[in-house]
Amino acid sequence: MAETQESVHGELGRADRRLALLLLAPAVLVLFTLSAYPLFYSIRLSLTTPTGAWTPGHFQRIFSDRLFGTALLQTFLYTAGALALELALGLLLALLLNRSLAGRNLFRTLLLLPMLMPPVVAAVIWRLLYNPSFGLINGTLQSLGVDTSGLLWIAGQRTALASVILVDVWQWTPFMFLLLLAGLQSLPAEPYEAAQMDGATRWQVFRDITWPLLRPTVLVAVLLRLLDLLRVFDQIFILTEGGPGFATETASLYIYRNAFRFVNFHYGAALSFVLLAITTVVSLWLIRMLRGRTPAAERS
Amino acid sequence: MLPGWLPKTDLVFLLLTLAVLLLGTCQPSPPVPQLTIAVNAGVEGDALKAAAADYEQRFGVRVQIVELPYANLFEKQLVDLLNRTGAYDVLMLDDPWMPRYAATGELTPLEPLFAQKALTGPDDDFLAPCLAVCRHPYGNGNLYALPYVGNSQLFFYRQDLFEKYGLAAPKTWAEVGRAARAILRGERKVYGYVMRAAQGNAVVADFMPLLWAFGGDVLDAQGNPVLNSPEAIAALQFMLELGQVSPPGYASFNADEVAAHLLQGTAAMSINWPAWIPAVDDPSKSRVVGKIGFSAVPGGKRAGVAAIGNWLLAIPRGSRRVELAFDFILWATNSEQMRISAERGNPPTRRSLFQNASLRAKYRSYPVQLHSLETSRPRPRTPLWNEIENVLGVYLSKANAGELGAEDALRQAHAQIIQILKRNP
Repeated sequence: MAETQESVHGELGRADRRLALLLLAPAVLVLFTLSAYPLFYSIRLSLTTPTGAWTPGHFQRIFSDRLFGTALLQTFLYTAGALALELALGLLLALLLNRSLAGRNLFRTLLLLPMLMPPVVAAVIWRLLYNPSFGLINGTLQSLGVDTSGLLWIAGQRTALASVILVDVWQWTPFMFLLLLAGLQSLPAEPYEAAQMDGATRWQVFRDITWPLLRPTVLVAVLLRLLDLLRVFDQIFILTEGGPGFATETASLYIYRNAFRFVNFHYGAALSFVLLAITTVVSLWLIRMLRGRTPAAERS
Repeated sequence: MLPGWLPKTDLVFLLLTLAVLLLGTCQPSPPVPQLTIAVNAGVEGDALKAAAADYEQRFGVRVQIVELPYANLFEKQLVDLLNRTGAYDVLMLDDPWMPRYAATGELTPLEPLFAQKALTGPDDDFLAPCLAVCRHPYGNGNLYALPYVGNSQLFFYRQDLFEKYGLAAPKTWAEVGRAARAILRGERKVYGYVMRAAQGNAVVADFMPLLWAFGGDVLDAQGNPVLNSPEAIAALQFMLELGQVSPPGYASFNADEVAAHLLQGTAAMSINWPAWIPAVDDPSKSRVVGKIGFSAVPGGKRAGVAAIGNWLLAIPRGSRRVELAFDFILWATNSEQMRISAERGNPPTRRSLFQNASLRAKYRSYPVQLHSLETSRPRPRTPLWNEIENVLGVYLSKANAGELGAEDALRQAHAQIIQILKRNP
């Protein structure tokens, strides 16, 4: 064994390799204590009873756990809604501010402000804005003569989920915008010049040149947001804590509740692995799409 | 360049150095005895923080305060107990958590510590309901804590509006309903009632006195769920009626929104905790200074009963300084220290302090508070309370948000609670 390794890493002497290992050791140690150990620990948690006996029971319970099903569904709705709006708005803004416009830099800076705010602070502010009696939103609407008696925002059974999505859109559209703007600015100029010569309409230019070229950037931006959205916790925790009723409960909130409020770490760990599996599958699918579209990627 | 390779002894030396460095940061050896206390971030915790500073000065004991928001305090403390980390020497806990904490078997029984000091136990100046929540099982089990803050719910109402409409202070919920409708009809900008109906701890705490007054309960004496009883359904139906005279969106209200409506003068009645009393008469916070009256929680089929919500001081078994911790909680709950805590805004748990003339002069609500505390009831004593409270909270919130009727909501909550009990035999 040692000899084959020697021949593979021919250039490194035994002493050099030893040093290399030694230099790597602290990083590996930190990585192990901070990520590998907790991972294996939580796998064990998810498969054992509080007394330490092995059991598949926690995973079996998930299948009959209707509340978790509802929480997952709401997580998907939240993710899909927020992602679609953030992408559409972000793209629109990026296209708009990619052109020479008076005060362009000012707009760009202003647009980034929501993203710089800690999510918890943003949630507290929105909680006040949404207050049906004292909040700025209903107050403004009332002064415009709108009847706001039925407008309850985060307190309404039907409007709560949309209202929390709106907060996410407000805060994270700038992120989408920033990435897409960077993508737009790195596009080559030649295709546009050629299109101009051929007399293409604006829509044709966007559809046939901008969008295909921007696609990899879009996918990266979507992937990054998706991973954040699927495990959303802090904003919703502050805004509604999952209520009213169960209307804005997401998977992360439900896992937190089970693990820490009901002190059932075993079930909480099992639930986390289900969420992890879903997140992994969705992101792998996106990453494959990303790879498949770049011309260099060969299937063969 | 470094030498070709480090000899093994160097490697061992390096690792040892690292280990010593890591250990060194974990356990500094204190030159003076030190206590670590986990407290609630809020009025109650502030008083204990101030007391701890006094204690430090007077007895030369270093007191380290770990301040945590209400939502995280429970998790941190329970994890500490379950793992016997010894990170905390004194826990400040909300009384509904006592059964869960005691069930871990990781709280220090206090009676042997009293015996070591040749004392028979806590003196009888402490109010009985306050000591009862310190025991597990409730009432007559082992003593695991001493009561520090004597909260119990009170009924807040706008005396000026009641006089204006010729109404007497409500003794029953039916009278509350009538008064609320009368005030809402007469005043354009004042809602009849306001409550915490955000799901979770909030809506359950506001529902309990209604449930009890209507003759219902969450669990019966044998611990079986009884939320599907006609009495419970009637109680929730009445809560929804109160919702109709409450400000819009009340289904998401927590303490902050309720306080805002009371202090802005836009709601006429509410159930609340004594922590809000000082704000009511503080002109910088309130538009209704001197206009709010306090009374006992209204009754119905049964006499009015408030929920008790005391803050307790307990010692984990994992603490390495149990005697020192016991000295501290004895000192913090003695009559003189509790008087200072009361001056700082916390209701006491001692009868003599509720009757203290200078405190009575400062807090006009003390006679009512004493009565409310003496007749109060604890929330159900079960280690599963957090989980049961969550389910009940979700369905109460669904009813208040208009998704489910009273009967459906309680039926479903009842079924879920049966599941919880079945899962944890």
